[in-house]
Amino acid sequence: MSCNAGIDFEELFEAAPCGYVLADRDGRITRANRTLLGWLGYTGDALVGKRISDLMPITGKIFYETHFAPTLHMQGRLNEVAIELVRHDGKRIPMLVNAVADHNGQGAQPRLQFAMFLAAERRGYERGLLEARNKAEAAVATERADAELREQFIAVLGHDLRNPLASITSGIHMLDKESFTARGKKVVTLMAGSVVRASGLIDNVLDFARGRLGGGIALARNTNEPLEPVLRQVVAELRSVTPGREITAHYALVEPVDCDHIRVGQLLSNLLGNALTHGAKDQPVRFEATTTDGELTIAVSNGGDPIPPDAIERLFQPFFRGHDRVRQGLGLGLHIASEIARAHDGTLVARSDTIATTFIFTMPLLRLTDRSD
Amino acid sequence: MLAFDLEYEIASPRSGIEERLNVRLGGLGQRSMMFAHGFGCDQNMWRFVAPAFEAEFRTVLFDYVGAGGSDLTAYDPEKYASIEGYADDVIELARTLGVTGGIFVGHSVSAMIGVVAARRAPELFATLVLVGPSPCYIDDADYVGGFTRDQITELLDFLDSNHLGWSQAMAPVIMGNADRPELGEELTASFCRTDPEIAKRFARVTFLSDSRADLGPIDAEVLILQSREDVIAPQIVGEYVHNAIPGSELVMLDSTGHCPNLSAPDATIAAIKAFV
Repeated sequence: MSCNAGIDFEELFEAAPCGYVLADRDGRITRANRTLLGWLGYTGDALVGKRISDLMPITGKIFYETHFAPTLHMQGRLNEVAIELVRHDGKRIPMLVNAVADHNGQGAQPRLQFAMFLAAERRGYERGLLEARNKAEAAVATERADAELREQFIAVLGHDLRNPLASITSGIHMLDKESFTARGKKVVTLMAGSVVRASGLIDNVLDFARGRLGGGIALARNTNEPLEPVLRQVVAELRSVTPGREITAHYALVEPVDCDHIRVGQLLSNLLGNALTHGAKDQPVRFEATTTDGELTIAVSNGGDPIPPDAIERLFQPFFRGHDRVRQGLGLGLHIASEIARAHDGTLVARSDTIATTFIFTMPLLRLTDRSD
Repeated sequence: MLAFDLEYEIASPRSGIEERLNVRLGGLGQRSMMFAHGFGCDQNMWRFVAPAFEAEFRTVLFDYVGAGGSDLTAYDPEKYASIEGYADDVIELARTLGVTGGIFVGHSVSAMIGVVAARRAPELFATLVLVGPSPCYIDDADYVGGFTRDQITELLDFLDSNHLGWSQAMAPVIMGNADRPELGEELTASFCRTDPEIAKRFARVTFLSDSRADLGPIDAEVLILQSREDVIAPQIVGEYVHNAIPGSELVMLDSTGHCPNLSAPDATIAAIKAFV
């Protein structure tokens, strides 16, 4: 006895829990089941002779003719196509459609079969997801535009601040030639120190903004002139504005260094500034610049409390300011220093223990690859 | 001076036109026969038609940038914002392949791309076969294109909001093809593959185009193949093209729908063979 006995296939087709349509190769409907007729508000043979695309709104017709039907003909089947069908009363019903182009027998015209599933809830859900995605994308785009504007503003502000600062510097130079009381002398020195710090901050902010705006740190390399005088100038400047602090310097630069001198000076200035700010006030800041084994090494160390290991990892991130939020400024100095190191194909690492905190910059004396920048 | 200008990488094609357009050459003939697909599909549209011409012609199949196996990185929204940009590629490809006096077979929007290309470079194609052409899909005064502007706007909105599941349908579908063993798995995976973003833009170019001014007398011999009940390019539009190109021939195919090259390949082949 066949296990098919007692199953009414005719009724299975007609009352299937999905719409079922048979069509010829051109998509002309030869039979549609009762389920679909019911959904669409038709009865009897009302759909026979219509084309499947006749049941679709104009958008669906175009989609069907240009993509659905061609793909179905070439591929033999197409699944999960989201489409709308138009009911007898003009109302649209979202559907998901699976389709097969059935080649029975040699040379026979293909017969198209469509299984259609109601998909209103699913479509609503998808629409919700789409809207959420569009909102999120819009929010991100706005945020990005705001951030870029902010950074441009910072860059322009930093740039504009340089002019008044230059005026103050020349004013201080002029005042320096006057005769002062001891107290007056001290005030002028402090003012000069403030100007140096302000200039350094402006440089860092500008570099940071440029980096964020896609410009990166540009290098003007110079091998012909010695690096040492530039470094000495940086040390002298910082000494002059931090009276009472000891900076020991050791130079062993025996080979020329293919680097941007001003940038390496800025790196040293940032490292020394960092050491002077965070190091123990009663201990010297030590600095060493050497050329050995084809590398330039600049090491700056200071005494004082060690940097916690978790903080070491984040030292070079922009705006990182550790626990000491009062004295630390913007937290850009070390970030810019590491960017300068990176631009030179070098590295900047930090080590910290109870004896000393040391920042070590190393870079190859010769350029790794010829770059056009 | 601060340089805030972000430097955008200008889309510069990394490869030659043959790689960019995923060109497939076939056939044994001297004279070239170039097949160009329409919106929504790729060169596979011609798989039942092109082989019939391989004995007599050199067949050239390709995918427009954005479709099928083309180089998506070569997609330049500005260049491909109009039919002209696509015609540029047809001309560049034909010149690269040394085509002169060839046959151009264009389906749907490609029919008009072919007309534009032939007008700009008359030496390339001596024969144009326009399958389901439409110079303008939108009704305009006395002209019947088949669609109202609102309907086309609705289509573009639908594509934009993706309610049709366009990208889902566009994504490559890998599946067995027991019924059609001649279609290999690899090919199956790439049928009518189209980048959804590019598909949206191509829809805009296709359905908003008005190339009626490009019709008129033309040096090439022109064959127009028209299906019955083609909702995309109705018969009245085929007749309009026929009347607008003096000396053109209009053949009504015994087929229904917009893609006779797929639904009625034999009738399509016979009509083209009788003409060329």
